[in-house]
Amino acid sequence: MDLQKIVKQNVEMDMTPMIDCVFLLMIFFVLVIDLSQKNLEDLILPRAEYQEPDDQPPENRPIINVLQSGAVVYEQNVVYDPTVHGKNYAPIKQLLLDIRRQGLLTGRLKLKEEKVGSKMVPLIDDPILIRADKWTEWHYIGEIMKQCSQPDIAFWKVELAMSEQDKENPKKRTP
Amino acid sequence: MTALDDAQEEAKGDMTPMIDVVFLMIIFFICIDFKVLESKLPAYLPKDKGSQSDVVEPQEQLSVKIHVESAGTPIYPEGVTAGTISPNGRPYRFKLEGHRVKWEVGPKPLYNLADVQKELVRIAQDPASQVPDKETGGKKLMTCVIEAYPGTYYEDVARTTDACNAAGFKEINFGGGLGAK
Repeated sequence: MDLQKIVKQNVEMDMTPMIDCVFLLMIFFVLVIDLSQKNLEDLILPRAEYQEPDDQPPENRPIINVLQSGAVVYEQNVVYDPTVHGKNYAPIKQLLLDIRRQGLLTGRLKLKEEKVGSKMVPLIDDPILIRADKWTEWHYIGEIMKQCSQPDIAFWKVELAMSEQDKENPKKRTP
Repeated sequence: MTALDDAQEEAKGDMTPMIDVVFLMIIFFICIDFKVLESKLPAYLPKDKGSQSDVVEPQEQLSVKIHVESAGTPIYPEGVTAGTISPNGRPYRFKLEGHRVKWEVGPKPLYNLADVQKELVRIAQDPASQVPDKETGGKKLMTCVIEAYPGTYYEDVARTTDACNAAGFKEINFGGGLGAK
Protein backbone atom coordinates (compact mmCIF):
# COMPACT_ATOMS: atom_id res chain seq x y z
CA MET A 1 0.00 0.00 0.00
CA ASP A 2 2.77 2.45 0.95
CA LEU A 3 4.58 1.81 -2.30
CA GLN A 4 1.40 2.55 -4.25
CA LYS A 5 1.06 5.92 -2.47
CA ILE A 6 4.63 6.85 -3.36
CA VAL A 7 4.06 5.94 -7.01
CA LYS A 8 0.87 8.06 -7.08
CA GLN A 9 2.68 11.06 -5.58
CA ASN A 10 5.43 10.93 -8.20
CA VAL A 11 2.93 10.93 -11.08
CA GLU A 12 1.60 14.43 -10.18
CA MET A 13 3.15 16.91 -12.62
CA ASP A 14 4.13 20.50 -11.93
CA MET A 15 2.20 22.61 -14.47
CA THR A 16 3.97 25.90 -13.69
CA PRO A 17 6.76 25.68 -16.31
CA MET A 18 4.25 24.74 -19.01
CA ILE A 19 2.02 27.72 -18.18
CA ASP A 20 5.11 29.93 -18.20
CA CYS A 21 6.05 28.67 -21.64
CA VAL A 22 2.53 29.23 -22.95
CA PHE A 23 2.55 32.81 -21.69
CA LEU A 24 5.97 33.43 -23.24
CA LEU A 25 4.77 32.12 -26.60
CA MET A 26 1.57 34.16 -26.40
CA ILE A 27 3.46 37.39 -25.72
CA PHE A 28 5.95 36.62 -28.47
CA PHE A 29 3.27 36.05 -31.10
CA VAL A 30 1.15 39.02 -30.01
CA LEU A 31 4.13 41.31 -30.42
CA VAL A 32 5.57 39.84 -33.60
CA ILE A 33 2.46 38.98 -35.59
CA ASP A 34 0.62 42.25 -35.66
CA LEU A 35 -2.18 41.65 -38.14
CA SER A 36 -2.75 45.35 -38.71
CA GLN A 37 0.74 45.55 -40.23
CA LYS A 38 0.30 42.80 -42.81
CA ASN A 39 -0.09 45.38 -45.59
CA LEU A 40 3.15 47.11 -44.68
CA GLU A 41 6.20 46.12 -46.69
CA ASP A 42 9.59 46.23 -45.02
CA LEU A 43 10.73 49.62 -46.28
CA ILE A 44 12.99 52.34 -44.99
CA LEU A 45 11.00 55.55 -45.01
CA PRO A 46 12.36 59.10 -44.97
CA ARG A 47 12.56 60.62 -41.52
CA ALA A 48 9.87 63.13 -40.62
CA GLU A 49 11.13 66.08 -38.66
CA TYR A 50 7.98 68.07 -38.20
CA GLN A 51 5.06 65.67 -38.70
CA GLU A 52 2.88 64.13 -36.05
CA PRO A 53 2.96 60.34 -35.65
CA ASP A 54 0.37 58.29 -37.47
CA ASP A 55 -0.51 56.43 -34.27
CA GLN A 56 -4.24 55.97 -34.89
CA PRO A 57 -4.45 54.97 -38.55
CA PRO A 58 -7.98 54.58 -39.94
CA GLU A 59 -8.84 50.92 -40.56
CA ASN A 60 -10.33 51.53 -43.99
CA ARG A 61 -7.32 53.35 -45.43
CA PRO A 62 -5.84 51.60 -48.47
CA ILE A 63 -2.05 51.29 -48.30
CA ILE A 64 0.09 51.21 -51.44
CA ASN A 65 3.73 50.21 -51.02
CA VAL A 66 6.41 51.22 -53.52
CA LEU A 67 9.69 49.33 -53.44
CA GLN A 68 13.07 50.83 -54.35
CA SER A 69 12.81 49.32 -57.81
CA GLY A 70 9.53 51.19 -58.38
CA ALA A 71 7.47 48.00 -58.00
CA VAL A 72 4.02 48.69 -56.57
CA VAL A 73 2.88 46.23 -53.91
CA TYR A 74 -0.67 46.02 -52.59
CA GLU A 75 -1.63 43.48 -49.93
CA GLN A 76 1.66 41.66 -50.49
CA ASN A 77 1.07 41.24 -54.25
CA VAL A 78 3.30 42.93 -56.80
CA VAL A 79 0.86 44.80 -59.03
CA TYR A 80 3.28 46.78 -61.15
CA ASP A 81 6.91 45.93 -61.83
CA PRO A 82 8.93 48.40 -63.96
CA THR A 83 11.12 45.58 -65.30
CA VAL A 84 8.00 43.82 -66.64
CA HIS A 85 5.56 46.63 -67.40
CA GLY A 86 7.97 49.45 -68.26
CA LYS A 87 6.01 52.61 -68.99
CA ASN A 88 2.69 50.79 -69.14
CA TYR A 89 1.04 52.10 -65.99
CA ALA A 90 -2.30 50.41 -66.70
CA PRO A 91 -1.88 47.91 -63.79
CA ILE A 92 -1.60 50.86 -61.35
CA LYS A 93 -4.76 52.41 -62.76
CA GLN A 94 -6.55 49.07 -62.57
CA LEU A 95 -5.44 48.59 -58.96
CA LEU A 96 -6.80 52.01 -57.96
CA LEU A 97 -10.06 51.35 -59.79
CA ASP A 98 -10.37 47.99 -57.97
CA ILE A 99 -9.65 49.60 -54.59
CA ARG A 100 -12.28 52.24 -55.30
CA ARG A 101 -14.91 49.74 -56.50
CA GLN A 102 -14.28 47.32 -53.63
CA GLY A 103 -14.21 50.14 -51.07
CA LEU A 104 -17.49 51.63 -52.26
CA LEU A 105 -19.16 48.19 -52.40
CA THR A 106 -18.14 47.28 -48.85
CA GLY A 107 -18.73 50.77 -47.49
CA ARG A 108 -15.08 51.14 -46.44
CA LEU A 109 -14.76 54.20 -48.69
CA LYS A 110 -17.26 57.00 -49.07
CA LEU A 111 -18.01 59.34 -51.94
CA LYS A 112 -18.60 63.02 -51.36
CA GLU A 113 -19.98 65.50 -53.88
CA GLU A 114 -17.91 68.67 -53.93
CA LYS A 115 -18.43 71.83 -55.91
CA VAL A 116 -15.50 72.37 -58.21
CA GLY A 117 -15.91 75.40 -60.43
CA SER A 118 -19.48 75.26 -61.67
CA LYS A 119 -19.92 71.48 -61.36
CA MET A 120 -20.55 69.02 -58.53
CA VAL A 121 -17.78 66.40 -58.64
CA PRO A 122 -17.91 63.04 -56.79
CA LEU A 123 -14.68 62.52 -54.84
CA ILE A 124 -13.48 59.78 -52.51
CA ASP A 125 -13.44 61.46 -49.12
CA ASP A 126 -11.11 58.93 -47.46
CA PRO A 127 -7.32 59.11 -47.66
CA ILE A 128 -4.99 56.67 -49.37
CA LEU A 129 -1.52 56.08 -47.94
CA ILE A 130 1.56 55.77 -50.16
CA ARG A 131 4.54 54.12 -48.47
CA ALA A 132 7.71 54.24 -50.50
CA ASP A 133 11.30 53.45 -49.71
CA LYS A 134 13.32 56.63 -49.20
CA TRP A 135 15.49 55.79 -52.22
CA THR A 136 12.62 55.20 -54.65
CA GLU A 137 12.72 57.44 -57.69
CA TRP A 138 10.05 60.09 -57.26
CA HIS A 139 8.48 59.64 -60.70
CA TYR A 140 7.04 56.26 -59.63
CA ILE A 141 5.18 57.93 -56.74
CA GLY A 142 4.27 60.83 -59.03
CA GLU A 143 2.67 58.34 -61.41
CA ILE A 144 0.50 56.87 -58.63
CA MET A 145 -0.55 60.38 -57.61
CA LYS A 146 -1.34 61.22 -61.22
CA GLN A 147 -3.57 58.16 -61.46
CA CYS A 148 -5.22 58.99 -58.11
CA SER A 149 -6.29 62.40 -59.40
CA GLN A 150 -8.02 61.00 -62.50
CA PRO A 151 -11.78 61.73 -62.40
CA ASP A 152 -12.76 58.03 -62.58
CA ILE A 153 -10.58 57.25 -59.53
CA ALA A 154 -10.76 60.56 -57.62
CA PHE A 155 -8.65 59.83 -54.54
CA TRP A 156 -7.73 63.41 -53.79
CA LYS A 157 -6.53 62.91 -50.20
CA VAL A 158 -3.12 61.30 -50.46
CA GLU A 159 -0.91 60.68 -47.47
CA LEU A 160 2.82 60.10 -47.79
CA ALA A 161 4.31 57.82 -45.15
CA MET A 162 7.38 58.90 -43.25
CA SER A 163 9.18 57.48 -40.25
CA GLU A 164 9.79 58.81 -36.77
CA GLN A 165 13.41 57.75 -37.08
CA ASP A 166 15.82 57.13 -39.93
CA LYS A 167 16.32 53.38 -39.78
CA GLU A 168 19.15 53.61 -42.32
CA ASN A 169 21.21 56.03 -40.20
CA PRO A 170 19.76 55.67 -36.71
CA LYS A 171 22.29 57.96 -35.06
CA LYS A 172 23.00 60.48 -37.80
CA ARG A 173 20.55 63.40 -37.74
CA THR A 174 20.73 65.30 -40.97
CA PRO A 175 19.48 68.90 -41.11
CA MET B 1 20.98 23.37 15.59
CA THR B 2 18.21 21.53 13.80
CA ALA B 3 15.87 24.58 14.04
CA LEU B 4 18.63 26.77 12.57
CA ASP B 5 19.06 24.35 9.66
CA ASP B 6 15.29 24.51 8.98
CA ALA B 7 15.35 28.31 9.01
CA GLN B 8 18.25 28.33 6.54
CA GLU B 9 16.39 26.00 4.23
CA GLU B 10 13.32 28.26 4.23
CA ALA B 11 15.39 31.32 3.37
CA LYS B 12 16.43 29.83 0.01
CA GLY B 13 14.38 31.60 -2.64
CA ASP B 14 12.99 29.93 -5.75
CA MET B 15 14.74 31.55 -8.70
CA THR B 16 12.30 30.27 -11.36
CA PRO B 17 9.79 33.19 -11.32
CA MET B 18 12.61 35.70 -11.47
CA ILE B 19 14.13 33.97 -14.51
CA ASP B 20 10.66 33.87 -16.12
CA VAL B 21 10.24 37.60 -15.62
CA VAL B 22 13.70 38.28 -17.03
CA PHE B 23 12.87 36.23 -20.15
CA LEU B 24 9.58 38.11 -20.55
CA MET B 25 11.41 41.43 -20.33
CA ILE B 26 14.05 40.31 -22.86
CA ILE B 27 11.35 39.26 -25.37
CA PHE B 28 9.40 42.47 -24.77
CA PHE B 29 12.39 44.71 -25.41
CA ILE B 30 13.53 42.73 -28.47
CA CYS B 31 10.08 42.91 -30.04
CA ILE B 32 9.30 46.54 -29.23
CA ASP B 33 12.16 47.64 -31.51
CA PHE B 34 10.31 46.22 -34.53
CA LYS B 35 7.56 48.77 -34.22
CA VAL B 36 8.82 52.14 -35.36
CA LEU B 37 6.06 54.71 -35.42
CA GLU B 38 5.32 56.13 -38.82
CA SER B 39 4.17 59.62 -39.67
CA LYS B 40 1.98 60.82 -42.47
CA LEU B 41 2.23 63.85 -44.70
CA PRO B 42 -1.14 64.92 -46.03
CA ALA B 43 -1.17 66.13 -49.64
CA TYR B 44 -4.24 67.15 -51.57
CA LEU B 45 -4.43 66.49 -55.28
CA PRO B 46 -6.35 68.73 -57.70
CA LYS B 47 -10.08 67.97 -57.43
CA ASP B 48 -10.93 69.27 -60.86
CA LYS B 49 -8.70 67.20 -63.11
CA GLY B 50 -10.55 66.45 -66.30
CA SER B 51 -13.89 67.18 -64.73
CA GLN B 52 -14.60 70.70 -65.86
CA SER B 53 -14.21 72.76 -68.94
CA ASP B 54 -14.26 76.18 -67.27
CA VAL B 55 -11.36 78.50 -67.88
CA VAL B 56 -9.17 78.40 -64.77
CA GLU B 57 -7.99 81.75 -63.49
CA PRO B 58 -4.26 81.97 -62.91
CA GLN B 59 -3.47 81.67 -59.20
CA GLU B 60 -0.45 82.94 -57.41
CA GLN B 61 1.56 80.03 -56.10
CA LEU B 62 4.97 79.32 -54.65
CA SER B 63 7.14 77.06 -56.75
CA VAL B 64 9.66 74.84 -54.97
CA LYS B 65 11.89 73.09 -57.49
CA ILE B 66 14.17 70.20 -56.64
CA HIS B 67 17.13 69.60 -58.98
CA VAL B 68 19.72 66.86 -58.72
CA GLU B 69 23.25 68.09 -58.08
CA SER B 70 24.85 64.68 -57.65
CA ALA B 71 23.03 61.45 -58.50
CA GLY B 72 24.86 59.40 -55.87
CA THR B 73 26.12 55.81 -55.87
CA PRO B 74 23.94 52.87 -54.83
CA ILE B 75 25.68 50.71 -52.23
CA TYR B 76 24.39 47.15 -51.90
CA PRO B 77 25.13 44.80 -48.99
CA GLU B 78 28.38 42.86 -49.41
CA GLY B 79 28.17 40.12 -52.04
CA VAL B 80 24.86 41.40 -53.43
CA THR B 81 24.33 42.85 -56.89
CA ALA B 82 21.43 44.90 -58.26
CA GLY B 83 18.28 42.84 -58.72
CA THR B 84 19.29 39.99 -56.38
CA ILE B 85 16.25 38.68 -54.55
CA SER B 86 16.40 38.50 -50.75
CA PRO B 87 14.90 35.63 -48.71
CA ASN B 88 11.69 37.67 -48.19
CA GLY B 89 11.05 37.56 -51.95
CA ARG B 90 11.84 41.22 -52.59
CA PRO B 91 15.01 42.64 -54.19
CA TYR B 92 17.79 43.65 -51.80
CA ARG B 93 17.66 47.37 -51.08
CA PHE B 94 20.57 49.70 -51.65
CA LYS B 95 21.75 52.72 -49.76
CA LEU B 96 22.43 55.78 -51.86
CA GLU B 97 25.62 57.59 -50.97
CA GLY B 98 26.68 61.01 -52.17
CA HIS B 99 23.21 61.99 -53.43
CA ARG B 100 22.79 65.76 -53.34
CA VAL B 101 20.01 68.04 -54.48
CA LYS B 102 19.56 71.78 -54.93
CA TRP B 103 16.30 73.62 -54.25
CA GLU B 104 14.83 76.68 -55.88
CA VAL B 105 12.29 78.31 -53.61
CA GLY B 106 10.75 80.86 -55.90
CA PRO B 107 13.79 82.29 -57.71
CA LYS B 108 16.18 81.66 -54.80
CA PRO B 109 18.65 78.74 -55.08
CA LEU B 110 19.31 76.91 -51.81
CA TYR B 111 21.62 74.03 -50.99
CA ASN B 112 20.35 72.53 -47.74
CA LEU B 113 17.00 71.72 -46.24
CA ALA B 114 17.49 73.91 -43.16
CA ASP B 115 17.82 76.98 -45.42
CA VAL B 116 14.79 75.86 -47.43
CA GLN B 117 12.83 75.62 -44.19
CA LYS B 118 13.89 79.14 -43.13
CA GLU B 119 12.99 80.59 -46.53
CA LEU B 120 9.58 78.86 -46.49
CA VAL B 121 8.83 80.24 -43.03
CA ARG B 122 9.84 83.72 -44.18
CA ILE B 123 7.56 83.50 -47.23
CA ALA B 124 4.67 82.07 -45.19
CA GLN B 125 4.91 84.97 -42.73
CA ASP B 126 5.05 87.60 -45.47
CA PRO B 127 1.62 89.28 -45.87
CA ALA B 128 2.25 89.38 -49.64
CA SER B 129 1.92 85.58 -49.67
CA GLN B 130 -1.76 85.81 -48.75
CA VAL B 131 -4.12 85.23 -51.68
CA PRO B 132 -7.91 85.56 -51.90
CA ASP B 133 -9.83 82.50 -50.70
CA LYS B 134 -12.80 81.92 -52.99
CA GLU B 135 -14.51 79.53 -50.56
CA THR B 136 -14.56 81.81 -47.52
CA GLY B 137 -14.14 85.17 -49.19
CA GLY B 138 -11.20 85.92 -46.92
CA LYS B 139 -7.49 85.38 -47.40
CA LYS B 140 -5.32 82.27 -47.26
CA LEU B 141 -1.70 81.32 -47.71
CA MET B 142 -0.82 80.65 -51.34
CA THR B 143 -0.48 77.12 -52.67
CA CYS B 144 2.95 75.56 -52.69
CA VAL B 145 3.88 73.49 -55.76
CA ILE B 146 6.74 71.05 -55.43
CA GLU B 147 8.37 70.28 -58.76
CA ALA B 148 10.71 67.33 -58.57
CA TYR B 149 13.06 67.09 -61.52
CA PRO B 150 14.26 63.77 -62.99
CA GLY B 151 16.63 61.85 -60.74
CA THR B 152 15.05 63.00 -57.49
CA TYR B 153 14.01 60.46 -54.90
CA TYR B 154 11.10 60.08 -52.50
CA GLU B 155 13.46 61.16 -49.69
CA ASP B 156 14.05 64.54 -51.38
CA VAL B 157 10.38 65.24 -52.06
CA ALA B 158 9.00 63.90 -48.77
CA ARG B 159 11.40 65.95 -46.67
CA THR B 160 10.69 69.07 -48.74
CA THR B 161 6.95 68.48 -48.29
CA ASP B 162 7.56 68.02 -44.58
CA ALA B 163 9.33 71.41 -44.47
CA CYS B 164 6.46 73.08 -46.41
CA ASN B 165 3.94 71.66 -43.97
CA ALA B 166 5.98 72.82 -41.00
CA ALA B 167 6.20 76.34 -42.48
CA GLY B 168 2.41 76.49 -42.52
CA PHE B 169 1.55 75.74 -46.15
CA LYS B 170 -1.73 73.86 -46.13
CA GLU B 171 -2.20 73.36 -49.86
CA ILE B 172 0.69 71.44 -51.32
CA ASN B 173 0.58 70.23 -54.90
CA PHE B 174 3.07 68.27 -56.92
CA GLY B 175 4.16 69.36 -60.36
CA GLY B 176 3.94 66.28 -62.53
CA GLY B 177 5.16 65.17 -65.89
CA LEU B 178 8.83 65.57 -65.18
CA GLY B 179 9.43 61.87 -65.74
CA ALA B 180 12.35 59.57 -65.11
CA LYS B 181 15.99 60.60 -65.19
